[in-house]
Amino acid sequence: MREAFRQELKDLKAEVVSIGKGVTDRTRDAVTSLVTGDVDLAEKVVAGDEEIDRRTLAVEEHSIEVIATQFPVARDLRLLHSLTYIALHYERMADLAVNIARAAKRTAGRRGPQTLYDLIQAQGNLVYRVLDATCEALETRDVELARKLQDLDEPIDHLYKQFFRELARLQDEEDIEWASSMVLASRYLERIADNAVDIGERIAYLVTGEFEALHSPDEETS
Amino acid sequence: MALRTTPIADNAPNKITVKELDFFYGDFHALTDITVDIKEKAVTAFIGPSGCGKSTFLRCFNRMNDLIPSARAEGLVSLDGQDIYETGVDPVDLRRRIGMIFQQPNPFPMSIYDNVAFGPRLQGVSKKAALDEVVQTSLERANLWKEVKDILGRGGLTLSGGQQQRLCIARVLAVEPEVMLMDEPCSAIDPTSVQKIEDLMAELKDRITIIIVTHNMQQAARVSDFTAFFLQEVAGDPAILVEYDRTSNLFTSPKDRRTEDYITGRFG
Repeated sequence: MREAFRQELKDLKAEVVSIGKGVTDRTRDAVTSLVTGDVDLAEKVVAGDEEIDRRTLAVEEHSIEVIATQFPVARDLRLLHSLTYIALHYERMADLAVNIARAAKRTAGRRGPQTLYDLIQAQGNLVYRVLDATCEALETRDVELARKLQDLDEPIDHLYKQFFRELARLQDEEDIEWASSMVLASRYLERIADNAVDIGERIAYLVTGEFEALHSPDEETS
Repeated sequence: MALRTTPIADNAPNKITVKELDFFYGDFHALTDITVDIKEKAVTAFIGPSGCGKSTFLRCFNRMNDLIPSARAEGLVSLDGQDIYETGVDPVDLRRRIGMIFQQPNPFPMSIYDNVAFGPRLQGVSKKAALDEVVQTSLERANLWKEVKDILGRGGLTLSGGQQQRLCIARVLAVEPEVMLMDEPCSAIDPTSVQKIEDLMAELKDRITIIIVTHNMQQAARVSDFTAFFLQEVAGDPAILVEYDRTSNLFTSPKDRRTEDYITGRFG
């Protein structure tokens, strides 16, 4: 019985890590579609969201079932509860990636200043790194890496602010719909990274058993 | 975890204090170096694998082990600050203050009424009205009154197992104990009765201190405020108290790896 239970926990954890990797791929595709104007790739990201939703729900259902039948305690309980929490965060991140893909569809065919594309790409590259780190920290129970996520998030916020400054230099004739879509995309990337920081805090909890101070975004710049 | 509006305060008074207790059955060293404070008006659970000394430890509190020749305790066990092993302490009086419930319900072979009136009669209560009152109150507190009020003259042994256990609880309550020791009180009864006894514990702790030994970890988690985990690490060695903490902490974030391994079913 107990062996089967342990295997279930392992499988559930592997599934959440795999969801996390799926979200990383989708975020990468979403940013690429935006920067390159690839509508097909953007469509693929939008269409793929259903799968993430379904798998997240399955993790939650499975967790509830295990709690009801196996009475997990201590690290098993922390793991189960945290896996549900982390899966739901990944699911929200996938929704944000979908929003970026939608922005890509809206802006495809129009071309703005290259600086702004470069900034989005730079921000995206940092976000992939943060996402990879959540998966790795969860997989290997790496508390130090989980705690480092907050530091990794900082330059992303920084780029988001820089994005605003660049926008202010736009000339009147620039397309305002294009500009606002790009701002939103930058904002979504910043939100994805914030979710990753929350995941990092939860990984630290599942390993140590101590709730650490929750991170809150410094300011709402929207 | 036992549901409640407010958890037991950190500075709640200690009812029983144990310091550096060692316990022996002849040459066999059963427990070593146990130090623990039992909070007043709280439920404290003792858990651990079979043979880890938790029942032995429980029996130190009312000197039940005195009845075993060659058994001896070293160290301090105090009730409200008074050493219970001191010369001059009357074990019979001690056992009135610290009542005990066993795994097998053990009503006396007499009527329900006489079972409950037994203790008060020994204490000299003889007036019928006074006895009637104590019998009713005790059965009410044990959540058994409604089921037996019309059959008080019937033999205690005619009741179901779960009812018998609540009758034994009423019998203990009739002498107004300050502490109730429960040694696996639910392992021989049906689930509905278990539920009733667990509910009863939550009600009783407003007035008395409860210490329960249980093999059922979910039960410990449900009913207790504090949990102590005992372990005999090596066969033949004395058992130790590995970890003692609020139940909510011990079952979510135990500090000791051995506790973690035991409660998550990795051994034992």
